[in-house]
Amino acid sequence: MKQTRRTFIATGAAATAALGMPTILRAQPSEYVIGASLPLTGPFATAGQLVAPAFTLAEKLINDEGGIGGTPIRFVTEDSGYIPQNALANYQRALATEGDALVAYFGDSTGFMKLVAPELTGDQARLMGSTSFASELANPATNPYQYLAGPSYQDQFDILLQNIKDAGGSNVAFIFSNTEFGRDPIEHGKMRAEELGIEVVLEESTKPQGADIPTHVTKLAQSGAEYAILQGYVTGVWPQLIGGARQFGLPTQFMGTFWGMEKLIADRVTAEAGPFLDGYQGVMPYRYFYDREDAPRYQLFAEAAKEMFAGTPLENYMSTWTLQTMCALEIAIKALRDTVEGGNEPTPDNLAAALSGITDWDTGGFFGGPVSMVDNKIGTGRVYQYSTETGLFTPTSDWFTV
Amino acid sequence: MGEFIQFTLNGLMAGTIYALIAVGIVSVFKATKVVNFAHGYIIMFGAYFYFTFSVIVPGAPWAPDWLQSWEPAWMVAMKADLPMFSPMGAVLDWLSNLPRIVLGLAGAVICNALLGLLIERTLMRPLIGQSTFAMIMITVGLISVLSGTKGLIWTADAEFVPHIAPNTPIRLNLFDTPIFLFGADLVNVAVALLLFGAIVAMVRYTKGGVAIRATAEDQSTAYSMGISVPRVFSRAWVLAATTGAIAGAILATRNGVSPSLGLFGFSVLAIVLMGGLDSYVGVFIAALTVGFLEAMAQWQFGGEFAEVVPYVAVLIVILIRPHGLFGQKEVERI
Repeated sequence: MKQTRRTFIATGAAATAALGMPTILRAQPSEYVIGASLPLTGPFATAGQLVAPAFTLAEKLINDEGGIGGTPIRFVTEDSGYIPQNALANYQRALATEGDALVAYFGDSTGFMKLVAPELTGDQARLMGSTSFASELANPATNPYQYLAGPSYQDQFDILLQNIKDAGGSNVAFIFSNTEFGRDPIEHGKMRAEELGIEVVLEESTKPQGADIPTHVTKLAQSGAEYAILQGYVTGVWPQLIGGARQFGLPTQFMGTFWGMEKLIADRVTAEAGPFLDGYQGVMPYRYFYDREDAPRYQLFAEAAKEMFAGTPLENYMSTWTLQTMCALEIAIKALRDTVEGGNEPTPDNLAAALSGITDWDTGGFFGGPVSMVDNKIGTGRVYQYSTETGLFTPTSDWFTV
Repeated sequence: MGEFIQFTLNGLMAGTIYALIAVGIVSVFKATKVVNFAHGYIIMFGAYFYFTFSVIVPGAPWAPDWLQSWEPAWMVAMKADLPMFSPMGAVLDWLSNLPRIVLGLAGAVICNALLGLLIERTLMRPLIGQSTFAMIMITVGLISVLSGTKGLIWTADAEFVPHIAPNTPIRLNLFDTPIFLFGADLVNVAVALLLFGAIVAMVRYTKGGVAIRATAEDQSTAYSMGISVPRVFSRAWVLAATTGAIAGAILATRNGVSPSLGLFGFSVLAIVLMGGLDSYVGVFIAALTVGFLEAMAQWQFGGEFAEVVPYVAVLIVILIRPHGLFGQKEVERI
């Protein structure tokens, strides 16, 4: 074919368009957005208000580190009142307002995560972490975009039961709130206990708040349980149960899961009601914030918090709930960075693939060592014990990975 | 058999506290013909007032140390020799908490009485002479107002309060089964029974009680006989609010202070319907029955059933006797 000036220009234009196309598709947004619903009012307002400043802190730290491949990140938080429908409305509003810049979302409950799950398809899907450790969510086949920032409740029961077995325990009681949260690991726990040769001598369901403590304590006393695992409570019932049992002189060793392991609650109970939480144990996925020596990431948070939250309770201590949120955000940022730095668009599918690919990741101290995302969760934790004298939870086991 | 006795005792103890809550609903109904749907939330306020005066106020920086914990030298010496959580230790703990318990109860009773008075003066009295239905609807609206106000004043966290009596453990052996009882629960039962008995006696034998019964029969006739009906209304509301304060404090010591205390009112409303809205005796029997059934369901079937089984029994009773076990049958003449 004869090359004329006209065909040369046409060919050149076509080549430029072809070469330029991927550049246009991969156009960097001016910023990435991560949205969040938090219970700033309602029954878990205390937790929500402690968690909210974590977003300010995370935004500053991540942007100081150069954002995501040079693009800054912005967090948008809204109040849900701990009502899943409100959180869903917040999510839909964030999708409509932020569009493709919204790359991930943080939910405030298992209820919301289950409610939003069917919506997470096509352009409505986003990578999604939350406060929930519900076992049902840790399933990439059904919930590819949702992840847990630690072990599921079933994993936490596995860790506690293994710990009981290692300590020579022979029987256990399961005391749980009659909620989805409370019942989550019970059937699995019974199977696991049987495998380990531990007898479950009591399965006691209680109200999530305002439970009839004397009745539950008498049932526990009659069961003769050496250990009792408490599940499905946040600020109430579990301390009253332990208080009642101690006043009765029961020698039962009480254990809790993540939401019953906050130092601020244990300290407050000790101040209001006496030292009966002494010796209380439970499973925690993360180091406590005061255990910073081998946690460079915590040291960074502490430095920033001292400056940003001077004069507030967050200046010196970050609650377990705040740490969980920080960890969930770090996981989202890790998936985002891996995706963008790998030259891929931060689409939900690419982010989900990056999430599944997190292997031997050094979190900077959240966990005991490098961790991997298996089945969209990090099945790691260890057992801690509370001392009323020091007001600290200290480890009583090595890190377990289940 | 031993376990049956254990759970029967647990149920009867819970039942007496239900009876103390129910007495407020019956008192208001007897005097005013208003079913107070918000009674549970008035109790919740009583519990939070008790928390305020027994925990928050004594813990304030300006409060004297003895109010938070009264520990004279002899008590410190006695405590030093005792093992942790011993029965004597429980008595000494209660003694050192006594100043704040007294302040808490006094504060709760006074503040709840004022709350009852406020509700009656501002919401109920303007509607005297209007349809009772409007007054009942006001109590429904009051639920949201009280629930929201509570959120403005206190947090939603579950809190601890001191027991109103020494919580010493009591252990017995019956039919080769260990029976466990809490000392504070026995005192709670005694307080509830005393208050219940005093109110019934007051309504039956005092001048004020006769006025309440006369007003309940017919307001216009009571007016014409020189009875101050508005004062009777006030008394009934104050009586309900003050017994509610004690009931709230007792519930708070058993179950902790939390917004869920407001929901007890609905459970107790079912008990009141079972016993008969205007019958103290009927309500007392119904309260003990529901407490017993709850404990049996908890023992045999677990927590989920404990919330259902007793209320199925309530429904059955109401289906058979719509005016309750001992309620006065309303005859409407057209």
